[in-house]
Amino acid sequence: MSQAILAVLMIAALLWPLALILREPLMAALTSRGEVRFPLDSLWSTAPLPALALALLGTDGSLSLSAWLLGGVWVLDEPRRVLLAFSALLWGLSGWYARGYLVGERDRANAGNEASAARLARFAVLWPLTLSGNLLLLVAEDIASFYLGFAVMTFAAYGLVIHAGTRDALTGGRAYLIMAVLGEGLILGGLLWGAGSLDALTLSELRQGLATAPHGVWIGLLLWLGFGVKAGVLGLHLWLPLAHPVAPTPASAVLSGAMVKAGVVGWMATLPLGESAAATAFVGLGRAMLIVGLVGAIGAALLGVCQRHPKAVLAYSSVSQLGMLAALVGTGLVMPSLWPSLAPAVVLFAAHHGLTKGALFLGVGIGEHPPRMPTWMLALLLTLPALSLAGVLGSGLATKWAFKAALYEGGQSALATWLSVAAVGTTLLMARTLWCQWQGEGQARLDGLTPLSAPMPLAWLLLVVSALALPLWLPTLGVAPAWPPPDELFGFWWPALLGVALALLAGWRIHRWPLRLAGKRPPAGDLWWPLARGFSRLWMATAPWLVRLAAVKTAWVAWWVALEEAGISMLDALGESETWLRRHAAVLMMVVAMGLALALLFSTA
Amino acid sequence: MSGAFFPIATLSTSLVAAAIIFLLPEGAFRARSGLNLAAAVLKIGLVAWMVRGLSQGQTYAVEFPVLEGLAFVLRADPLGIMFAGLSSLLWLFTTIYAIGYLEDSPNRRRFFGFFSLCVASTLGISLAGNLFTFLIFYELLTLSTYPLVAHRGTPKALAAATLYLRFTLAAGLVLMIGMVALHTLAGDIRFGQREILAEFGAEQRGTLIAIFWVLIAGFGVKAGLVPLHGWLPRAMVAPAPVSALLHAVAVVKAGAFGIVRLVYDVYGAELSQALGLLTGLAVIASVTILYSSLRALAEVELKRRLAFSTVSQVSYVVLGIGLFGPLGTIAALSHLLHQGLMKITLFFCAGNYAEELGIHRIDELDGAGRRMPLTSLAFSVGALGMIGLPPLVGFLSKWYLGIGAVQAGMPWVIAVLVASSLLNAAYFLPVLYRLWFCPGPDQGVGAWPQERHLGRFETSSWLLLPALATALFSVMAGLLAGLPFSPLEWATRVVSLEYLP
Repeated sequence: MSQAILAVLMIAALLWPLALILREPLMAALTSRGEVRFPLDSLWSTAPLPALALALLGTDGSLSLSAWLLGGVWVLDEPRRVLLAFSALLWGLSGWYARGYLVGERDRANAGNEASAARLARFAVLWPLTLSGNLLLLVAEDIASFYLGFAVMTFAAYGLVIHAGTRDALTGGRAYLIMAVLGEGLILGGLLWGAGSLDALTLSELRQGLATAPHGVWIGLLLWLGFGVKAGVLGLHLWLPLAHPVAPTPASAVLSGAMVKAGVVGWMATLPLGESAAATAFVGLGRAMLIVGLVGAIGAALLGVCQRHPKAVLAYSSVSQLGMLAALVGTGLVMPSLWPSLAPAVVLFAAHHGLTKGALFLGVGIGEHPPRMPTWMLALLLTLPALSLAGVLGSGLATKWAFKAALYEGGQSALATWLSVAAVGTTLLMARTLWCQWQGEGQARLDGLTPLSAPMPLAWLLLVVSALALPLWLPTLGVAPAWPPPDELFGFWWPALLGVALALLAGWRIHRWPLRLAGKRPPAGDLWWPLARGFSRLWMATAPWLVRLAAVKTAWVAWWVALEEAGISMLDALGESETWLRRHAAVLMMVVAMGLALALLFSTA
Repeated sequence: MSGAFFPIATLSTSLVAAAIIFLLPEGAFRARSGLNLAAAVLKIGLVAWMVRGLSQGQTYAVEFPVLEGLAFVLRADPLGIMFAGLSSLLWLFTTIYAIGYLEDSPNRRRFFGFFSLCVASTLGISLAGNLFTFLIFYELLTLSTYPLVAHRGTPKALAAATLYLRFTLAAGLVLMIGMVALHTLAGDIRFGQREILAEFGAEQRGTLIAIFWVLIAGFGVKAGLVPLHGWLPRAMVAPAPVSALLHAVAVVKAGAFGIVRLVYDVYGAELSQALGLLTGLAVIASVTILYSSLRALAEVELKRRLAFSTVSQVSYVVLGIGLFGPLGTIAALSHLLHQGLMKITLFFCAGNYAEELGIHRIDELDGAGRRMPLTSLAFSVGALGMIGLPPLVGFLSKWYLGIGAVQAGMPWVIAVLVASSLLNAAYFLPVLYRLWFCPGPDQGVGAWPQERHLGRFETSSWLLLPALATALFSVMAGLLAGLPFSPLEWATRVVSLEYLP
């Protein structure tokens, strides 16, 4: 019975967003010309509800579909349930928020702006499509479904990133797409190589087999880097700070909250974490993940504090947080025995960061359109998720404790200290975000306030509350995070205190002696710009060579054509000589006959 | 009776249709269309019957001697029937499309007559039971497609058709030389009699290798292997249904199918591997895949870009053959069908853009997704399938190629596959971007080159429905690949029945 419920819920969770996509063109066809329709109606925002129901009501189990692709297996278990629950919640609230966020677009469409109407229709289709890809990759156990979900999510999200259609949006979209396609290529290579070597069709076969497979480390490397594009591994993170500021705020929230987690989910699903057989072969890869992750966690914080756009700062904060996650996953490779206690902490971290970062992104939009509430309350509500991300309170505190306890247990206190240093960076980034928002907020207040009951503030409030209270409602899914004992609390607060102190110091310093940073500030997307310039130079340098190459090819073809023409003209010459023969046949015959006669005459004689 | 009846009846549906079409007057539009469609449907029925019979273990064969030691053989084996099924299914869609496409254009009698002949020869190729029969239909295909390529009669079309004829006739000659050499060496080899060549000793190795490459050179022209692909992009001047047929079913596929027959049914996979021929094939295919993908990047005309994409995709079949082992074979055989489904969709769509909006160049496609949403959806399906994204059929081919490569001990092929995927993405995604994301004439930017309102929907339903149907097939064949009689399942069955090394 419970299996049947699971099957129904699972199929409903994946099909409902698709059904809502189909509804959009149908509704568009049914409305008469001239009549204007807002495609993001309340039914549209129910897209992730079946998935939420699946997470809450579904029992552990799996669903096998033999006709699907190469044989589909969809599974629900404890980590998947947590991931599914937080993703569905974030998608749902962000979708609701979008209904308010895109009101301006709706008004323009109502006023007869064709481009706005087209953008709205596109958003209404691509949002549920991206969602369905995200959900599928979470429940997928067979490799083909997983890759399908990953690809659908990646490519559909492109349309969300470039929603505004401005020049910056197109640049961000291009960075996103180029990096995503590269990542897809690496993932495809890794999956094909792995599946081919192991004859594996499911992710767990792949993960378990990879530990002992020949060239397993190289396959692991491909998968690390491939999923690393999504998960913002340092060097592959370039798209995050470019795409986030330009995407519509609700899209940034799901992009940074739910979608980048797909990379981490990919690591957890494919790398031989916790396999003792992997202990020797994968140590190098694990160390690399660990070190690159930590450098990313701290480096992104340094780059992020120089940004001016709050969403760019938040994007760098995501890179930093994902660096910490990567460091934890890397630890799982280096010390397989630690992984069983570390894995729940990683999942909790993903859920905490997903919801909190979502709340922070939605908060950026709230700062731009403040609701009718006292300034101190607004400031408090904006600050709470920031403090939670810094690990001071709420879900952040529980998450930090979850992985620190696991690390101390495994004797990895050095890593724990480094993560605390990264938390100082997080605090600085949060301070920078709030400062940037504060500067924009005053102007927004003059422009007018929105009612508190509108979709935007309501969705934001709900997300802030559910993010902070994550450890309180997670037990309904069967996972109960622990709170740190009171005597450990200082260990969690000192990075934040240090961060606040540093931020205040820097603020004071800049207030006293204003810095002239114009031109020296690293742009959002840091390495993207030199790389882009480098590639265009390379292109300029190779273009003449390509022209030369084309000339060589043309010459080669011409040589063949000339050869053929020579052959044809030889044939023609043959034909002409035949004509000559025909014309002079009689004379020739005579000559031959006379010659023969003479020969006969002389031979007899 | 039934054993001989079905192959002959299947072949003669198109032959008889061709004969009657040539007899009908030019203006008999309804009779000609009705006859075409009836013949196409009848043929699908016959092929489906043979598929059913074959899966129940019946045999369908007919043969008669032509000369001493040389026979004309028609035989339906699982591999042949797979190709026959593809060609008869896609013939139906192409016929529907061609009726809509050529509405009110001159010389329709000639067109449809040769069109039917062309399909008859494709069917003959698929049912041929030995190299001799294969060659007859192969040459017939060459001759019957010439008038189709030259159909428009413009100087450009005539030049392209002449080039096509020069390439293919020369290849036919090379093929015949190879075939005669093989015949002299080993006599009449029926497809499937792999033991004949396998018994030759080491002293014949060199001869066998030489004959193999001569035959590959012959097949390689039609299959568009680099550097023998030159005719293919030029032949793009043909009307859209012809391009679709050429690229998806008839000519290019006939070449690839010939290589399949040669490797699996004449030489046998083991012998080919032992002679070191397969690695050579894989290398040629890889070079072709990468080179033509790079060339496709540089094209600005939609159909030419698609042509180079065909060159690249058909080589996937050859690459699959080059991977010794059952998985590579499955990849090769299923990609014969998969590529057909996707590419015919793309060409139908390209034809729709040209007919409805007068679009030939890629930069004219801006905003066409809003104007022609269904066509653009079908195009997107085909393009994403070519990139190899699930759930489309292209993914399955790539999957089997990849794991086949690893199991054949050639993991470098994965790098080729990934590079090809990236290149495919690089030349198809910008097209999709223009279709869906760029503002176009409907948003008041620029104008369509030559807009016509051909039908009640976004274009004439004769043009729209075939494109949608083939797009739907390429989604379903991928999504439900596990169902019986899906291309992948049938390819797996063929391999497990006959070709398991």
